[in-house]
Amino acid sequence: MAMKRMLLVVAAVTLAGAPLVAHHSFAAEFDASKAIRITGTLTKVEWTNPHIYFYLDAKDEQGNPVRWTCESAAPGALSRRGFKRGDLKLGDTIVVDGYRAKNGANLVDARRVTLGDGRIVSGGSAGDGGPQ
Amino acid sequence: MSAVRFGITAAAVLVVAASSGLVGRAQLTVPDFKSTRPTPRTASGRPDLSGYWKGTTDTKPGGNIGKDLPGWKLPLTPAGEAALKHNLTATIDPESLCIIGGIPRHNASGLPFEVLQGANKIAFLYWYSYFRLIPIDPNRKHSDDPDPSFFGEELGRWEGDTLVIDSIGFKDEKVWIDENANPHSDALHVVERWTRPDADHIHVDTLIEDPKFYTRPFTYSRTWVLGKPDEEIQEYACSENNVDAAHLGFGPGPIRPDGTRGYIDPAPLPPPLPRK
Repeated sequence: MAMKRMLLVVAAVTLAGAPLVAHHSFAAEFDASKAIRITGTLTKVEWTNPHIYFYLDAKDEQGNPVRWTCESAAPGALSRRGFKRGDLKLGDTIVVDGYRAKNGANLVDARRVTLGDGRIVSGGSAGDGGPQ
Repeated sequence: MSAVRFGITAAAVLVVAASSGLVGRAQLTVPDFKSTRPTPRTASGRPDLSGYWKGTTDTKPGGNIGKDLPGWKLPLTPAGEAALKHNLTATIDPESLCIIGGIPRHNASGLPFEVLQGANKIAFLYWYSYFRLIPIDPNRKHSDDPDPSFFGEELGRWEGDTLVIDSIGFKDEKVWIDENANPHSDALHVVERWTRPDADHIHVDTLIEDPKFYTRPFTYSRTWVLGKPDEEIQEYACSENNVDAAHLGFGPGPIRPDGTRGYIDPAPLPPPLPRK
């Protein structure tokens, strides 16, 4: 089943011809040298244009609480690749692999998202010039 | 293209994509969509350009209006060089601030677009919920002093099977001519020549003149392929939740050796977690 779904995602993206493109360059907002993994509890979801945002309560290296804003592609682009709003359930533990904002804010480009059920989905904005 | 051939091509693409782990990168190019279907025509006999049109990966470099120039080198005047420097160091990408990209930038975009053609007008619909509506009337002339706009004052006319769109009256603030922050001035003059050589392709040859910022006219040409019947532009409210606007820096970031905007030498992400 997992393989079937993965192939469906590949098909949806591949046959789209050209991917929908971000409305800004990756490099205008994020630092490609600052890769990070964040593990946190999902507290809020904004399934909105021009990007979706979801918010994680996590802890920093000293154990202090920190809230992360996670930015992904637009709803249409994500849903076409099989990443739906219903996949993000409040209270789930989410793992985000991505890149930090250049300005030092607790904002991350969520390029790879490990959902509460363990499924790994691509959250990046295709065509934004960011690492694929 | 026959259904069988398309199936084989699609299957091959899927195998390549699946085996390489590529899930965020389109693979198809214009030749993959060879068509034997003739150009559809309107009741008056003109080509019907209507359709949902998608770019392909052989448009390289994407988002660069200098795509068809040697080394992608734009013929900038000194004023154009200064405008480019200003865009790179002091302006945020207007499109990321939900400002209309305009022409010719939309023609260099990776985003699909939709065309709806009527007898005397043609509409181009874009993601971000933008549109341009162009009269098709050979007798209309440009205004003496048109109000500046992002798409310009656009006049359409037919030359045989080619729809010509001639545009002047562009803005000179909050505009990038492409995704790489190249500039244009209010002296911009764009002539688009649109054709539909068969049912499955649309093509544009674009002449770009801007004597303030470019030493000579240059061209930009591109072909798109027809989307599936159920594909269409959908709502995309750019200003709905533009959280990122407060975090954006000036310019597009580094321009890579392949002529596209993007990162240089990214740090690798942590390895994926083992699947449950």
